Amino acid sequence: MVKLKELIEIEATYVGNMKGNLACAGCGLNLALRHALAALDQHALLVVPACCTSVIQGFGEGYGINAPVFNSAFAASPAVASGFARVYKKKDPSVQVVVWAGDGGTADIGLATLSGAAERDEDIIYVMYNNEAYQNTGDQKSGATPPGAVTTTSSGEKRPSKSVSRLMITHGVKYVATANTAYPLDLYDKMKRAYEEFRGHFRFIEIYAPCPAGWNVDPRYTAKVGKLAVETGYWPLYEAVDGKITLSRQGRRFLDPEKRKSLEDWLALQGRFKKIKPEFLEALRQDIDHSWEFVKKHMAE
Amino acid sequence: MATTQRQIDLLTGNEAVSAAVKQIRPDVIAVYPITPSTHIAEMLAQAVDAGELDSEFVKVESEHSAMATCIGAVAAGGRAFTATASQGLLYMAENIFWAGYGRLPMVAAVVNRALAPGWSIWVDHQDTMAMRDAGWGQFYVKNNQEAYDTVIQAYKIAEDHNVYFPFMVALDGFVLSHTASPVEFLTQEEVEEFVPPFNPLFRLHPSEPMSFGAISKPDEYIAMREDLMKSMERAKKVIQDVNIEFAKKFGRDWGGLIEVVGPEDAEIGIVTMSTLAEEAEVAAEQLTKEGMSTSVTRIRSFRPFPGEELAKQISKYDIAIVIDRAISFGNAGQIYIETNSALRDYDVDTKLIGTVMGIGGQDIAYGDIIERVKNLTKKA
Ligand SMILES: Cc1ncc(C[n+]2csc(CCOP(=O)(O)OP(=O)(O)O)c2C)c(N)n1
Ligand code: SF4
Repeated sequence: MVKLKELIEIEATYVGNMKGNLACAGCGLNLALRHALAALDQHALLVVPACCTSVIQGFGEGYGINAPVFNSAFAASPAVASGFARVYKKKDPSVQVVVWAGDGGTADIGLATLSGAAERDEDIIYVMYNNEAYQNTGDQKSGATPPGAVTTTSSGEKRPSKSVSRLMITHGVKYVATANTAYPLDLYDKMKRAYEEFRGHFRFIEIYAPCPAGWNVDPRYTAKVGKLAVETGYWPLYEAVDGKITLSRQGRRFLDPEKRKSLEDWLALQGRFKKIKPEFLEALRQDIDHSWEFVKKHMAE
Repeated sequence: MATTQRQIDLLTGNEAVSAAVKQIRPDVIAVYPITPSTHIAEMLAQAVDAGELDSEFVKVESEHSAMATCIGAVAAGGRAFTATASQGLLYMAENIFWAGYGRLPMVAAVVNRALAPGWSIWVDHQDTMAMRDAGWGQFYVKNNQEAYDTVIQAYKIAEDHNVYFPFMVALDGFVLSHTASPVEFLTQEEVEEFVPPFNPLFRLHPSEPMSFGAISKPDEYIAMREDLMKSMERAKKVIQDVNIEFAKKFGRDWGGLIEVVGPEDAEIGIVTMSTLAEEAEVAAEQLTKEGMSTSVTRIRSFRPFPGEELAKQISKYDIAIVIDRAISFGNAGQIYIETNSALRDYDVDTKLIGTVMGIGGQDIAYGDIIERVKNLTKKA
């Protein structure tokens, strides 16, 4: 695993997203972008659908991302990326095409496009940063919004959230990983592994990216909220190679429900769960159980 | 050139298009099947599988993704091709505009087919007309030979730095796509000499980080659209020049922007496009024999729209009948609307009458056109 000191040095020499970009204070996505770009060693070409990232990069001149960015239509990114990847495969294989998309663009409108590119095993790293709602348009419910969370279009729902990572594993994607902005070393390593070890394949990384603005969280607590997501068992950290899951070193112990921290305390930090009803809380617990069951079932021996 | 031995084959329109694409050798071909264009996808996929064609064939899951894949390919500096029809073109629409407004030159063959509901697999022009404002050039061809020639010309025109936007080559569903007629090929050397390798004006690459399509302020946005408008203007000359060069080298002249067939001093003009124009040529000959001197003015390039050329030609007629194969509901046929506005722009006072024929695949023979012209001129 990369050392903290090393990561700091790497990110000091190459700044993927520049100071003064348009992200809100405490934005998780902005952190995710920084660590991910650092791991890709200046070979990344980003394809970005409509999402917060289309805003935080800023205006054309002096813009905030130190990598080429193609802004695509909302549902189109994996296909646009396929076009890039097919051309660069022959013209310049050093280019690593990366889709950088939100949960709405991934779990909802772009799902078919994602599925197509995954099935074709395009040479793309697909990053879904999950801020659990449509944040660009002001926090509307997406397929990845967890049970009980209030958004501007829902006052809490019982339905489990749609896990695209699990879907990608069952799609037969070569490398699937979950990550979390509160675990930058783990995030960096997974990006790097995807980039170095599984080149030539479709790779999918889902990053939990707290959104203080949409979740009604104090921007001071972005990292805390992210960390607790793992410690409460809500966000299992794992890698799956050829469908076989290995739990990540950081967070592995939360396989044991006894070791997990209080779900209520974590929810209390987030305005979106402020008045969560018992039935929604129960749904959320079931959702967590379900995701661990899946993990256990697919764990490598 | 007269000594060059060229192959002649009996080809359907779809075969003619894929023959041209094979010689153009795009880097990326991304197609999703839809009647009546499917055969193009099949033939190109088979050519790639057989190793005859060194393109990346991307078997996308939708038309939206077919166009998106072409967009990525061109933004990477590659040459791209797709083919579609009808609902497929509409499903692509968002990305069609992305390619047009994004200035990503490529060629799409659109096999014209009516739109649902009321499923119809037969020809009309409602599909491509719905895309006329997307920043694409649009050629409408009248036969399979022109389909073949125009795909080749369209790459040369689209990739010209004075033009630099994508083109559709529209051919009538079944009437051309599934009907065989003789097509003369260019040799591979001729194609390569006529259409030089794609020299992209820009491409995205990590060596020079920049953003494509970021948030744009109104003044920047307006500047980009004005540039597109100017490029459309400049494209008119390029289209004419390419047509002349092609005619000189290979002996076929499709008229460039418009093609006029019939007596110089015709009093009646039939203004139309595609296979209706070829049918109208027979009608005009007949009408002329009967004493109603008639010629056909065929619009070959609907985008850019040849307003000046049309106005000049129509000014020679006493009366002109515009036949549309699509309708702008609540107004009239698109060719009629635009031709009418061109006549005003150039102060031409020829009487212009619009009519719609052949939508939903209605079969139109020259006899139908003769009858329509007689009726309309009688009333006028
Ligand atoms: C076809 C289409 N429909 C709707 C929109 C409006 N839109 C832009 S961004 C966005 C939400 C994006 O949400 P998500 O993918 O979760 O990313 P986030 O904004 O949370 O980063 C929506 C609905 C659009 N740009 N295109
Ligand atoms: S809305 Fe949320 S995800 Fe979007 S920039 Fe602000 S904090 Fe980041």
